[in-house]
Amino acid sequence: MRRKQILAMAWANMKQRRLRTSLTTLGVIIGITAVIALSSLGEGFRVTVTQRMEQGFELNSLTVIPGSLFAGLSRQRFTDYNVGNISQIPGVEIATGVMQIGNVTLRKGNEEVQAFVATAVNFTEFVQIFPDRFVFASVNGSPDQWKNNSIVIGYKVNHPNETETPFAGAGDNISMTFMKSPYFYETQNFTVVGTLQKRGTPGLTNFDYWVFIPLDTAREIFGPPYESDLIFVKISNPNDSDAITKDIEALFPPFQISILAPITFLNQVDYILNLVQLFLTSIASISLLVAGIGIMNITTVSVMERTREIGIMKAIGAKNTTILTIFLTETALIGILGGLIGVPTGYGLSYLLSIIISRFTLGQQQGAVFQNPEGQQNIGITPVFSPTWAVGAILFGIIICVLFGLYPARKAAKLDPVKALRYE
Amino acid sequence: MPAILEVKDVEKNYSLGKVLVSALRGITLQIEHGEFVAIFGPSGSGKSTLLHVLGGLDRPDKGSVYIDGINLSTLNDAKLAEVRLHKIGFVFQFFNLLPRLTALRNVELPLTLADLSEKESIQKATDMLELVGLKDRLNHRPTELSGGEQQRVAIARALINDPKIVLADEPTGNLDTTTGWEIVRLMKRLNQEKGQTFVVVTHDQGVAETAHRMIHLKDGVIQGVKKGSGSVNL
Repeated sequence: MRRKQILAMAWANMKQRRLRTSLTTLGVIIGITAVIALSSLGEGFRVTVTQRMEQGFELNSLTVIPGSLFAGLSRQRFTDYNVGNISQIPGVEIATGVMQIGNVTLRKGNEEVQAFVATAVNFTEFVQIFPDRFVFASVNGSPDQWKNNSIVIGYKVNHPNETETPFAGAGDNISMTFMKSPYFYETQNFTVVGTLQKRGTPGLTNFDYWVFIPLDTAREIFGPPYESDLIFVKISNPNDSDAITKDIEALFPPFQISILAPITFLNQVDYILNLVQLFLTSIASISLLVAGIGIMNITTVSVMERTREIGIMKAIGAKNTTILTIFLTETALIGILGGLIGVPTGYGLSYLLSIIISRFTLGQQQGAVFQNPEGQQNIGITPVFSPTWAVGAILFGIIICVLFGLYPARKAAKLDPVKALRYE
Repeated sequence: MPAILEVKDVEKNYSLGKVLVSALRGITLQIEHGEFVAIFGPSGSGKSTLLHVLGGLDRPDKGSVYIDGINLSTLNDAKLAEVRLHKIGFVFQFFNLLPRLTALRNVELPLTLADLSEKESIQKATDMLELVGLKDRLNHRPTELSGGEQQRVAIARALINDPKIVLADEPTGNLDTTTGWEIVRLMKRLNQEKGQTFVVVTHDQGVAETAHRMIHLKDGVIQGVKKGSGSVNL
């Protein structure tokens, strides 16, 4: 039988039962809409989060910390000898040791602010490792000119409770109280050489909550002039971070150190987001399966109603395959129709949802971990239109429709013509 | 020339619930090219079953059926469908037209199944409808046609693929007497003009009388064969 004729017959049959066809198609439309909306939104979410993280992390930086994430933390400290060895590794641009002094209090006149951590750094090197995060709101001179007892204040420390006026500006003299040894506090005077802009960077190294003092000053106060708590490393190419991580590990006995590589973390997050997206799409696919069952149901009814017609077709010489093809063409047409309407509807829905989501989250972004550098408040998720997904969803819809139509269509094809002709 | 239709020792049983019904019990007959044969008998005599077996719609439990030299029992479903398409035309008591298609499309359907081009098949179907006197009813749907007209469409559909044999199952059974006779005359005319073999199942003795041969069937057995008005022993 001519393909065009089969198509015409199938279309005529569908038109004959308009309401039924529309409702069945609606099921497929909803299924495909759900798949497309969730997948494009999921992809948009993944892209947004990845971009934010790429902005937040210096992908070309590594942090060497004492202890092992497997075997437990240690109180081991690094020496300048370790730092020197790391700087020798090919691909490493700078390695710099830092000391961390927990919880300090800054005072200027009657005013008092707390900093979560005071970090003692080699300013010249440190600025080179974090050029995007070490951005000044006010500054006196340049890092290489800064002497002992200089201090740089992070945004959140300088603006506790988001106050408009900063606690201090460059040039101010302040005092810092810190714990020198257990239960023994000491206060020293510092000159503010810089204050930082708001950056909002991820967890472990959120500079907004930190203050920075020269490494030399800290060593004078706390002890050996060659020790540090952490080592920050800048590498030339983020893609080398795995290899360089291994090289650094090889410099230490097993389980003595751990290395935090943002790119590894980023890859992990990307992997998890992909899984989440797959999960969402799978859930959406269930609605398509439900639509498939609807098609199976309606085709079974249709076969029963058209039993006599099938008998006539067979009597005048239609083969089983012709009958099968006519019914499968009908279900495939429902799939195509559902796909063609469902894909644009799905993208429409995903845009609508993205607007709702960005409105909903607007008020919650003040303290967001991932803020973009300009400090804009709008974390919008832009749904991603993927032609591959669109074609895939339509194909998937057609396959579901044909698969679920197969059982009733085969039943129709195998009907005994004599019994079919007698069917009332 | 060998017989167009040959039936040898055909038996067919049905189970109606738990009861086994022997519809055909050892039927043997031959029908020649161009013959107009009537199979008549009371209802339940197995007429329709015989017609279905002759037309390859049903398979006999025993015995064999040859159409144009082809043994139907050796064919699979697809081949049997091809035989029905090219060598057999069916006419039913209740017309059995497809309700959604126009008269023209109904008649064209076997040509479509035979993969004829649309242009050619429409031309042939139009000619055939003209032959049965329905030139001005081409685009009417079955519901818009009278019973007699519907049966004419069905006859046109049966003849469209130029089959060797036309099998008609009570073609006048659902029509008033006048219209019924019109249909009989039409079939007789086509039989004479086109030389097609007709096998007509009927319980109407009058209709059966018009045939070259009347095969009298009762309880699944051929009781006798009459020629014209005279009877011959089997």
